[in-house]
Amino acid sequence: MIDVALDQPGVEASSEVAGRSPWALALRRLRRNRISLAAFVLFIAIVVISFSAPYYARSVAHVDPFVNNVNGTTIVNGKRVPLFQQGGGILHLGETPIGPTLDLHHYFLGADNQGRDVAARVLYGGRSSLEIGVGSAVICCLIATLLALVAGFYGGVVDGLVSRAMDVVWAFPVLLFAISVSTVLLTAPNGLEVGPVHIVASSLWLPTLIIAAIYVPYVYRPIRGHVLSVREKEFVQAAIAQGASNMRLAFSEVLPNVTHVVVVLLPLMIATTILTESALSFLSVGVQAPAASWGTIIDDGQGLLYTRPWVAIAPGIMIVLTVLSLNVLGDGIRDALDPRAKLRVDG
Amino acid sequence: MLTFVIRRTVSTIGVLFGISVMVFLIFFATPGVDPARQLAGRNPSPSSIALIRHQFGLDRPLPVRYAIMMQKLFITRDLVSYSNQGQKVVPEIVAAVPTTLSLVFGAAVIWVVLAVVMGVLAAVLKGTVFDPLLMILALIGISMPVFWLGEVANLITQARFHGSFLFSWVPALGYISLTGDPFGWFKSLLIPWLTLSVLYIGFYARVLRANLLEVENEDYVRTARAKGLSERRVLLRHTLRTSMITFVSLFGLDFGALVGGGALLTEVVFGLHGVGYLTYVSLQNLDLPTIMATVVYGAVFIVLANALVDIAYAWLDPRVRPT
Amino acid sequence: MRHLSWKATALVVAVALSAGCGSSGSSSPTTSTSSGTASHRGGTLTVLSNASFGTADPAQNYTLGEWQLLIMTHDGLVGFKRVGGAGGNALVPDLATTVPVPTNGGKTYTFTLQPGIKYSDGTPLKASDFLTVVKRQFTVPGPTTFYNQIVGAAACAAKPKSCDLSKGVVTDDTAGTVTFNLTSPDPEFLDQLALPFMLAVPGTTPLTNQGNNVPPGTGPYMWKSYDPNKAAVLVRNPYFKQWSVDAQPLGNPDSIVEKFGLSLEAEVTEIENGQADVMFDQDLIPADRLSDVSTKYASQVHVQLLTADYYFALNTRVPPFNNLQARQAVNYAADRGAMIKEFGGPSLAAPTCQILPPNFPGYKPYCPYTAGTDTTKWTAPDLTKARQLVAQSGTKGAKVTIVGTTDELGKALALQLVSDMNKIGYNATAHLLAGGPQYPFIQNSSNKIQVGYSQWFQDYPAASDFLNVLTGCGNFHPNSDASPNIAEFCNKGIQAKMTQASTLAATNPTGANDIWAQVDHQVTDQAPWVDMFNPKQIDFEAKRVQGYQWSPQWYTLLDQLWVK
Repeated sequence: MIDVALDQPGVEASSEVAGRSPWALALRRLRRNRISLAAFVLFIAIVVISFSAPYYARSVAHVDPFVNNVNGTTIVNGKRVPLFQQGGGILHLGETPIGPTLDLHHYFLGADNQGRDVAARVLYGGRSSLEIGVGSAVICCLIATLLALVAGFYGGVVDGLVSRAMDVVWAFPVLLFAISVSTVLLTAPNGLEVGPVHIVASSLWLPTLIIAAIYVPYVYRPIRGHVLSVREKEFVQAAIAQGASNMRLAFSEVLPNVTHVVVVLLPLMIATTILTESALSFLSVGVQAPAASWGTIIDDGQGLLYTRPWVAIAPGIMIVLTVLSLNVLGDGIRDALDPRAKLRVDG
Repeated sequence: MLTFVIRRTVSTIGVLFGISVMVFLIFFATPGVDPARQLAGRNPSPSSIALIRHQFGLDRPLPVRYAIMMQKLFITRDLVSYSNQGQKVVPEIVAAVPTTLSLVFGAAVIWVVLAVVMGVLAAVLKGTVFDPLLMILALIGISMPVFWLGEVANLITQARFHGSFLFSWVPALGYISLTGDPFGWFKSLLIPWLTLSVLYIGFYARVLRANLLEVENEDYVRTARAKGLSERRVLLRHTLRTSMITFVSLFGLDFGALVGGGALLTEVVFGLHGVGYLTYVSLQNLDLPTIMATVVYGAVFIVLANALVDIAYAWLDPRVRPT
Repeated sequence: MRHLSWKATALVVAVALSAGCGSSGSSSPTTSTSSGTASHRGGTLTVLSNASFGTADPAQNYTLGEWQLLIMTHDGLVGFKRVGGAGGNALVPDLATTVPVPTNGGKTYTFTLQPGIKYSDGTPLKASDFLTVVKRQFTVPGPTTFYNQIVGAAACAAKPKSCDLSKGVVTDDTAGTVTFNLTSPDPEFLDQLALPFMLAVPGTTPLTNQGNNVPPGTGPYMWKSYDPNKAAVLVRNPYFKQWSVDAQPLGNPDSIVEKFGLSLEAEVTEIENGQADVMFDQDLIPADRLSDVSTKYASQVHVQLLTADYYFALNTRVPPFNNLQARQAVNYAADRGAMIKEFGGPSLAAPTCQILPPNFPGYKPYCPYTAGTDTTKWTAPDLTKARQLVAQSGTKGAKVTIVGTTDELGKALALQLVSDMNKIGYNATAHLLAGGPQYPFIQNSSNKIQVGYSQWFQDYPAASDFLNVLTGCGNFHPNSDASPNIAEFCNKGIQAKMTQASTLAATNPTGANDIWAQVDHQVTDQAPWVDMFNPKQIDFEAKRVQGYQWSPQWYTLLDQLWVK
C-alpha cells in the first residue's frame, strides 16, 4: 500500500540559486545525498549482474539453468561428482542435490531439486523480477496518471465513475485480488484473450499486467488530488477562460505540474511491485516454470529448506537488496524534489 | 456530521456490492472449471454432473446465480463449498477467524510498542549516528518479503537451531487454541508475530519519526518549551500525542487489511489456518463460494477500517469533512 | 477409478521444518502378525492427515482417506479380506453368509444376510436397507458409473426423482435376501459391491447428500464426529459382535482419531517425536526429509510396492501426438531414471513402460521403449531411436504444451518431460495448474491438451480397472470434465479384445487375464501414455505402534495396529 502526501513543488523557501529549473535543482540535491547515490549504484549493479545471466550461464558456469539435469555431474576439488546423492541407511530413501561449492564455474550455490544451477537461476530470476517490477510500475503509473488527468480534469460524472471504480479495487484486499486474477487466467485454457491481444500463461506479460492493474488506485488517488489542485491554479483557470480545449490543457498545463509526483512514486512503486511479484511467484501464480524469478526460486527452495537452505536464502537476499536500494533511492528523490513531503510504502 | 456518516455508510455498501460482483465475474465469466464437476466428486458420470448442475441452479442465468449465492451467503447462511458438499462456508470462516485475530492482534501489539520506541529514539537522537542507523534498520524491515522472512525464521527455529536451548521451546508449525492451552498459544504464535510485525515496525517508526520532527517546529510546542517544561514532558505530553493521530489512523487501515486476509502469506508459511490460508486453499481449488465469502469478509474489514478512520478524522478535524 | 487425492497434492505448500534431533532407539522392525490379542486392546490411535477427505457421505466420498475409516465402521455384503499382503485382494463374505456364484448367465447375484446384526444406533440390519443404498448412488448422486448396469439404473441416473429399482434390487426382509439383477454380465460386479459406496446404511437414511454426517454402520467402530478442519473421531460401536475375522475383525485401539491440516513436514516431526502414531498413507514424506527418516528412523518405516502408475497421457487426437511414431518417440526419449530421482530415488519407485502395474492380474513385464535389447525392463532412454522416429513422423519442431501440476513433484516431472522432448526436436513448454483444477481440465477434450500429467491408483484388483477405464473407448466422453480416458485413445481391435476378456472373465479368469496381458502389451505399443513409474508406499509410524499390516486394497489396516 502506498500513501502519498506531497506538497506543491516550489513552495519551499529555496535558498538555491535562482533561475534554475526545479528539476536541475533536485538533481543537484540528489547528487549531494551520499546514501542515495550508494543505493543507486547498488541498484544499477544488481541490474547489470542480473542482465549478465546469459553470459554467466553460457561462458562461466557452462549450464542451462532451464533444463532438468538430475543425472548430471560436476567437479568439486578437481574430482567429478554426481549432482545427486542417494539417501543413506538401509533404506536409501531420497535424493539430495549438491550444496554450494563456492566455485563460480561449478554450481556456485549448488543445485535445486531438478539439478539446475541455482546461481545461474538467481541471476536469470533477477532479470525476470526486474523486468516485471519495472514494467508493471511504469504501466501502472501511466494508466493511473491518464485516469487521474481525465477524472480530475473533467470532474462530474466521469470523475465519479472512475473514482468509484477505484474505490472498489482499493477495498479489494490487494494480494487476494492479484492471486485471484492470476489463478483464473492461468486456468483458462488459452491465457488472457482480449480482442487481438493474446497472452499465454507462460508469458511474463501476464504477471506484469496484473500487478500493474492492482496498484492503479494507489497511484491514482494522490495524482488526482494534485490534478484537482493544479486545476484551480490561476494560470489554468486563465487558460480555461481563454477557451483552451480540455485535452490540450490537461496535457500541456496540468501534466507537467504533476510529473514530479510520478517521479517520486516510481522507485517506490518498483520496490512494491517487485515484492508483489515475488509473493505471487512464491504462491506459484506468478512467473511460470521453467522460467525463474526470485519468488519462484524461493518456492523451489522451500522444499529443500531442511537440507539445502541456500536455494531459498539467496534469492531472498537479492530481493532485500534490490527493494532496499529502491526505497533509499526513492527517499532521496523525494527529499530532493520536495524535502517536506511525506510518503509511505508497505508491501 | 450525521449526513457525513450516512454518506460514508452508503458508499461502503456500494463498494461491497461492487466487490462481490467483481469476484463473481472473475470466477464465473471465465471458463476453465465447471463447478458442477467439482461438486460431483472424483469420477462422476456425465448424467450425475447434469443432475448436480440443475440441483445447484448452475444452469440458470448469471444474475440469478449471483442472487442465489448472495442469498445463501447473507440471509440463509448455508452456502456450501464446491470442493466439499458437506462443508458450510460461513461456519468455516467463523472457525478460522480466531487464528487470524490472534496472529494480527499479537503482531500489532509488538509493532506498535517497538515502532514507538524506535521512532522516538530516532527523533530524540537526531543529529547523532543512531538516527540514520535506526532508519536504515527500519528500511531493511520494510524491504523484506514477509514469506521469505518467515521461511528463514522456520529454518532457524524449526531446523538448524531447534536442538539448541534457544529454540527448543518452539512447537511444530500450526495454531494452538488460546482457550485450550494459553501458553502453547503464545509459544506457537511468537515467531509468526515477530515475522509479521517486522515490516510494520520499520514503517511506523519512520512515520512517527517524521511526524515528531515536523511537530517539533509547531508553535504550540515552542510555546510549551518556552514555558519551561522539561524536554521529556514536551515530548510525551505534546509532540508525541499530536504525532499519534496519523499513527493511529494508519494503524486502523493496516489492522483492517491484515484481519481481512492481508496476513495470507504469513499464515501460509507458518501453517496457521486462518482466513488468509482458507482463501489461499480455496483459490487453489477454485472453490468459488469460499473465495466469495472470504473476499467479501476481507473487504468488509478494509472498508470498515477506511470508513472508521475517515469518520474519526472528520470528528477530530472538521476541515476534512467534505461538503 | 481412483486418482491420488486432489487435496493432498494441492496442499503441499505450507513449509515446516522439524526437530532435526533425536534418533531412533532399538525398536525391532514390526512384523506382520494377525489380529492383535486382547492384551493389546485399548488406547487411542492418532493418525495425521494433511487434508481432510471432503464430503463424508459414503455414497459420495471417493477417497482412500475416508474409505480407510469407513471399512471399520460399516460393512458391505462382501468385502476384501482384512489381512496384510496379497491375501488382502481376496473377496470374502461380510454381511452376506457366502460369496454367491452368479446365475442367469452371470446376470443375477443373490445374497443371504448374516442374522442378528445391528447398526450402531441399535436398529437391526434389514435386507431392504440395500435398496436405499443403491438408490442413493443415483439420488445423491454418487461419483461413479460402477452401478449403472443394475436393471433400472440407467433410468435412475437420468431421472433420480422417479427412480425405480424394484426389478434391479429385489429384497426380502423376512428371508434376509438381497438379489441384484444386471442388464448384462459383469465379472467385476462383486469387486464393485465391496467398495464403500455399497456399505450398508439404515433404510431410513435420506436419499439426499448427508454432507459431513455419516449414517450409522455395523462395524466395530462408529463415527463420533467429523470436522474437515479439525479431525474425524471413531469410537467403539457398543452393538458390535465379531462374526467374521476375515471380513470385519475386532479392532485394537479403543478410539481412532484422524487429525487434519498439519503440513507434511510437521507430520513427520510429530511422528518422529512420538506425538502422533501414523502418517496417512497418501501423505508423502517430503523429499527433503527422506534421507533423515531413512537413516535415523529406518525401523519405523515400511516400504510397499503400490499398484499405481504415474504417467503422462499423450492426446491421441491432437497433433503432434495423433501420430503413432511421435508418441513412440517421446516414449523412447523419456528419461524414467531421472523422473524416479525426482520422485525420491530408486528405493521409492520402479520404472515402467506398460499400463498394468507389477503383481496385478494380467501383468507380464514389457518395456519396448528402452535402450538395449531386453524388452522386459527399462534401463535407459534411447535418443537415437527417438530422433529417428521424430524425423519419420514429420513432427519435428512441433510446439507441445504439457499440462502439469504446481506441486514440487508435478513441476519437476513436467519439466523433465519438457527437457526430454526438447532433446529430440520438439518445442515443448509446461503449463502448470493447481492439482484440484488440473485433473478435470486435462480430462475435458474441449481444452485440446496435448500432454497431461496424472496418476492412477487401483480401485480393486482387476486389469480392466486400468486398461478399460483409462484407455477404453467407452471411457472417453467428449467435452466432459469427467472423461478418465485422458489420452482419448480408442482402438477398435484392442477394444474388441477388452470386451472378449471381460466376457471370458466370468467363466475363465485365468484365460481372461492372458488376454488382458495381450491387451496391455498392445496398448503399450500404441503408446497413448508415457508411463513413468510404479511408486512405492513409504509408511512411517511412531515407535510405540505395533501390528502393522498392509493391504493392497485399503493400505495400512488402522484398527489392526496397537498402541498398548
